[in-house]
Amino acid sequence: MSSSVYEELKAMIGQDQPEILATDRVCKQMIRHWCEAMEDANPLYSDEEYARHSKYGSIIAPPPMIWSWVIPPLWPSTGRPRVWEELLQTCAKGGFDQVIDTDVEMEFYRPLLPGDRVSAETKVYSVTEEKQTYLGRGHFVTAESTYRNERKELVCVQRVTLLIYRARGSDEV
Amino acid sequence: MKYSSLYWEDVMASQDLPTLSKEITVTTIIIGAIATRDLYPLHHDFRFAQKAGVRDILMNNITTGGFIGRYLTDWSGPEGEMRRMKFRLGMPCHPGDTLTMTGKVVKRYKDGDQHLVDIEYNFLVSEGSHCRGTATISMPSRVGA
Repeated sequence: MSSSVYEELKAMIGQDQPEILATDRVCKQMIRHWCEAMEDANPLYSDEEYARHSKYGSIIAPPPMIWSWVIPPLWPSTGRPRVWEELLQTCAKGGFDQVIDTDVEMEFYRPLLPGDRVSAETKVYSVTEEKQTYLGRGHFVTAESTYRNERKELVCVQRVTLLIYRARGSDEV
Repeated sequence: MKYSSLYWEDVMASQDLPTLSKEITVTTIIIGAIATRDLYPLHHDFRFAQKAGVRDILMNNITTGGFIGRYLTDWSGPEGEMRRMKFRLGMPCHPGDTLTMTGKVVKRYKDGDQHLVDIEYNFLVSEGSHCRGTATISMPSRVGA
């Protein structure tokens, strides 16, 4: 049972997925809310005068903010991206119904400026065989998201590794 | 200049970054969840968190990434440019925790015309490491400045 889950997960690696378009364009207001939460005083994010004279010529978005732009709105609901639905449904067949992020990696190629509209394409990058972890048995799945601006210029490549597992005590299949 | 940035030449491999401590409150967690657009209830709903088997709501990963970005450019100044960051998530960060952000320079090098430093960082909560990882920052150089 579980080994067929692994085969199905492996078959998803590299499969093309629909592009997700950000609901909101990059804007100073959402950047300010981010900085308020992190207490981030970097003037490139908030001081228009300073930012105008910087090499970017404008305020920029904090680089780690990249994944916020493409999170779907709570309402009206647009559903989860297809890649996540497929991943979670496949894992659920083996009783793996819990998800936790374990690792994050981001490479930044160019900044986002107010007015930019981000798109993301997320593919399954790698999967492991079923493993015993301290949380329970599960698969580590790494998803790779490629973020671009509306001119299709590369902004960021991000890899997030998730452990999709069956909580200890709730097994065994 | 109102805001100063460190030059690559002034950084030494193995030097420590100043430690930054932040008291984490319910408000810190929730404003982070909202500002990062992560509305999963684990990051704002106490009852949901308890049912999920954790003692309280916990910081979402995007906010953790935001604090890493802030910690690094607080040190480098605004001309330090984040090229890459990579981290492993550890213990959750709950309200009542003090998030202690530590880091050190592990490598200082050139790549073409880029002046780079690699930083190792470890953010601690009372139960251990909340996140730890590496980042590469491109810095301004005095040569040609």
